[in-house]
Amino acid sequence: MIKTLLMNIDEPDQVEIGRVRERGGYAALEKALRMEPAALIEEVKASGLRGRGGAGFPTGMKWSFVPKNSDKPTYLLCNADESEPGTFKDRKLMECDPHLLIEGMAIACYALDCHLSYIYLRGEFEFIAHTLQKALDEAYEAGILGPSVCGRDYALDIYLHLGQGAYICGEETSLIESLEGNRGYPRIKPPFPATHGFLASPTVVNNVETLCALPWIIANGSAAYAAMGTEKSKGTKLFSVSGHVAKPGVYEVEMGYPLMDFINNESGGVPNGRKLKAVIPGGSSVPVLRAEECEGVLLDYESLLKAGSMLGSGGMIVFDETVRMPEALSVIADFYAHESCGQCTPCREGTGWAAKILRNLIAGKGKRPDIDLLLKIADMMEGKTICPLADADVMPIRSFITKFRSEFEELCSN
Amino acid sequence: MPKLTINGQEIEVEPGTTIIQAAQVAGIEIPHYCYHPDLPVDGNCRMCLVEVERMPKLAISCATLATEGMVVHTNNDRVKESVRGVLEFLLVNHPVDCPVCDQAGECRLQDYYMVYGLHTSEIPLEMKVRKQKVVDLGPMVVLDQERCVLCSRCIRFFDHVTHTGEMQFFGRGDHVAIGTFENRPLDNPYSGNVVDICPVGALTSRDFRFKCRVWFLNSTDSVCGGCSTGCSMRIDHRDGTVFRLLPRRNPEVNKSWLCDEGRMSFHELAAGERVRRPMIKGRDGMQAPVVWEEAVRSVDSKLKEIRDNHGAGSILGFASPSATNEALFLFKQYMAGQVGVTRFEFRADSEDKSVTEQEDNILRRVDKHPNSMGAIKLGLVSKEFGGIEGAIESAREGKLRAGVIIYFKPLVRRPTDEEAESRVAELIRAVEYSVVLAAHKTDWLAEASVVLPVTAWSEENGSYTNYQGRVQLARRAVTPAGDMRPVWQVFALLLAVSGADISWSTAADVFESLTETEPAYRGITYDEARLPGALVADI
Amino acid sequence: MIQFNEEAMRQYQAILKRYPEKRPALIPVLILAQKEFGWISQEVAEYVGSLMGYPASDVLSVATFYTMLRKKPVGKYHMEICRNVSCWLMGTYPCVDEIKRRLGVEAEEITEDGKFSWNLTECLGSCGTAPAMQVGDRYYENLTPESVGEIIEKLAND
Repeated sequence: MIKTLLMNIDEPDQVEIGRVRERGGYAALEKALRMEPAALIEEVKASGLRGRGGAGFPTGMKWSFVPKNSDKPTYLLCNADESEPGTFKDRKLMECDPHLLIEGMAIACYALDCHLSYIYLRGEFEFIAHTLQKALDEAYEAGILGPSVCGRDYALDIYLHLGQGAYICGEETSLIESLEGNRGYPRIKPPFPATHGFLASPTVVNNVETLCALPWIIANGSAAYAAMGTEKSKGTKLFSVSGHVAKPGVYEVEMGYPLMDFINNESGGVPNGRKLKAVIPGGSSVPVLRAEECEGVLLDYESLLKAGSMLGSGGMIVFDETVRMPEALSVIADFYAHESCGQCTPCREGTGWAAKILRNLIAGKGKRPDIDLLLKIADMMEGKTICPLADADVMPIRSFITKFRSEFEELCSN
Repeated sequence: MPKLTINGQEIEVEPGTTIIQAAQVAGIEIPHYCYHPDLPVDGNCRMCLVEVERMPKLAISCATLATEGMVVHTNNDRVKESVRGVLEFLLVNHPVDCPVCDQAGECRLQDYYMVYGLHTSEIPLEMKVRKQKVVDLGPMVVLDQERCVLCSRCIRFFDHVTHTGEMQFFGRGDHVAIGTFENRPLDNPYSGNVVDICPVGALTSRDFRFKCRVWFLNSTDSVCGGCSTGCSMRIDHRDGTVFRLLPRRNPEVNKSWLCDEGRMSFHELAAGERVRRPMIKGRDGMQAPVVWEEAVRSVDSKLKEIRDNHGAGSILGFASPSATNEALFLFKQYMAGQVGVTRFEFRADSEDKSVTEQEDNILRRVDKHPNSMGAIKLGLVSKEFGGIEGAIESAREGKLRAGVIIYFKPLVRRPTDEEAESRVAELIRAVEYSVVLAAHKTDWLAEASVVLPVTAWSEENGSYTNYQGRVQLARRAVTPAGDMRPVWQVFALLLAVSGADISWSTAADVFESLTETEPAYRGITYDEARLPGALVADI
Repeated sequence: MIQFNEEAMRQYQAILKRYPEKRPALIPVLILAQKEFGWISQEVAEYVGSLMGYPASDVLSVATFYTMLRKKPVGKYHMEICRNVSCWLMGTYPCVDEIKRRLGVEAEEITEDGKFSWNLTECLGSCGTAPAMQVGDRYYENLTPESVGEIIEKLAND
């Protein structure tokens, strides 16, 4: 299977720029710099690459929303705030192949006529910041970044910026607010970041994996990338798998790869002779699938949607038969309550309320009407908030309860 | 000009109008907490969600622009269910302590609950997030964090109106609370406004709380008497007592704001003893009460006697920049028209110079009188003297023998007040014959030849002309105990005694005469002067 | 009165240079302040505010949004153990029990010698190497009660 992201991930010296260049690193950037920015955007559009942070918005189209000839500078922000439970793919890329990210960012910046760019890295990843900073320093020293990128008449600075513990800052407008030095409150759209982003300037926020896909696309051509995957889900995708599997980790597969094959082959299957109970395929915010619902499902945007879930961030969590689903949901609901920014009413109050009801249920203090109340709270939150965090709580609440209702009822006294 | 349909009603609005504003134009109220016409849109409360056809999700009407052909529903079941849900959420962590909450009666949580909620809330108290209660935020504001709906109006007020940023959100999620740094008191001359804009009982007025349930109060439209800005305000009163002053929104003057000094100015009015009966100084040099008729006859004949003996130039008309336009107009009518006086003054200080001068860049002006511009427009200012000191000098030289003086103490005090007041006292001492129209007793009033008790601001109908030259109406809210009359009525009496062939029975009649007579006011109607007020001509 | 020492001041100036405007430097400066002073006390918030020209209330408001900016002191080694799904599945709580047993303190409390404190935290992005915990800028992964015990012993002797 072709790898567009993890091709050099197992090379222990891939963090050193010299070895990276020997393996062909930054050749795609050199090639991109010989192209017109507009042609680059077209190339990315043609590749069918979609945002790998979770929403799956076509990357080339996102870039094309940036106004031409704005009197303000354009900023590219790399979203490295990876915090969705079950997701650790970006971490892998940054830890093991930091130059791939820098190359991808440089290509994107050149295409967008951006000269100042930031990597918004979650603060917990401070140990990765050391790796990234060393790679950035090397890139400056090698003339890949700085006043003359690869000797061309194009200047680019990339800086690292650390978050400080707020899941919501992975949402792009919240990320921008946070980068601006504020509480990470998501913004009301419109206006969109493409016109009014960082410092009210045109801004593109792209996920680490999205940016890391660019070098391969430029080096091998959009057609080669688009030839992989399915009709609407092109290329390859990283999945980070955790929970009850023999080989948890990050794997790259072509879009459209069968979910059960991924669990049984790449992930080594469910260990200890236990049976598969359920899978959260794309990070804790997407609907859970029962084991039987996983049969025949393919790992791509459309197939997962058809199965009643979502591709999300590709953070797969596998549950074996021993897992008590109400407890799992309580863990997830606590997370969204803790991470709700508190700005808008339904999310602030709803996530906290739902989490408390679930804690009560687990403690044996719940009543049957509480189960329907949870579903009602989900309805009251859904689609009524500024950003998608509340919906990210709604999906597990609704899917866990409807698919495993008897387990919730067993906890109730009457 | 986009045309849209809201609840089946077609409306045409200015480009840039949001749905919530368009609805307001059409008389349709959309429930909201965070939206405020004089603050930037924040969109956090989610109460104003409406259905816009062809949009998949409900949209917040405060941040969604009205566009051509848009079809909006604000009251169908889907929207009502959404509003009800938001309301239920807002009560999840609310203490529901309405019986002891001073916001009761003007609380948006209560009000909307009656319309949209009416659900049973069964969230046990131990499940609610507890926050700080009864936090002392200085002389104007008391904070209860548990009642807060986190709409951020107060925060936006301090961020965008005063630019001082005292109030902020602290914490995250359902633990977010509003507050000041270390609960420090609000050291801000506009802090009272956050009480007004707080839609719930989170920020209540230290001055007003627990004084009176709001449904017992009557409200009267007025104009602030605290300075020359002339903010539109509302007087809330009951049984002759003023309980609080609140801003009336006037986009041309004060938007939705009042300064704290103006807001508290009614306490200054209530402070000090009132002059309650007309008094005339007898031969023994002691003042003795008389009935009004006797008082005005005496004044009219004495003034005319002095005029006949020493000429009209020996009489000064000294007006007050705190009197209404109606008062100043009839004062001028009588003094100039009947007595023939040509010498007028109104400046105990430098009111004419400070009338437009800003004290800060929000509302307050240096001139602490509501009607200096009115006095200027009526020409009650004499180049000859150059202020009160010139008049005193002239009296000492024997050129001035009599003075008719209207005096009101400023309702917003400044250290220079005493000096200004002492000048008025000096003027009274310097003339042989002085008639003083006053509301409050002062030591020096005993030296006047005649004292006439008058009603003050909030006690009479009348208009004031602010620093912009904007005429605004103020209504009588309360009636003081005693035999006081509005200043205009005193001069109406004098005019009648003097034999003028016109009479006025109300302040509105006087206003009409004023607009017919005075060029600067020509053509202004009473209705125009209501809100936002009418600009006088630049003459 | 607290203030940055010379080296911290030099770093402060370097942070400002990374941004086209001053405000985006606020959180990096708060991180620096936390490194210098241990946690974001009200005094620290006031100092950072005066240094950068923002109201103290504004600075504290920002700081209280972010869990990594601490609103109270912690031990020299503050152990933050992930409580999210994958870590929970793989055994967070047996490790937490071991921490409590060894340290004798509850969450957010500091051991008497000032060396340790602990807390539960949200997803660290170590789901594939669960359970995990963060101590300072280091991750410890694939934890077991035994390995947690060893880590504590090693840090205690540091």
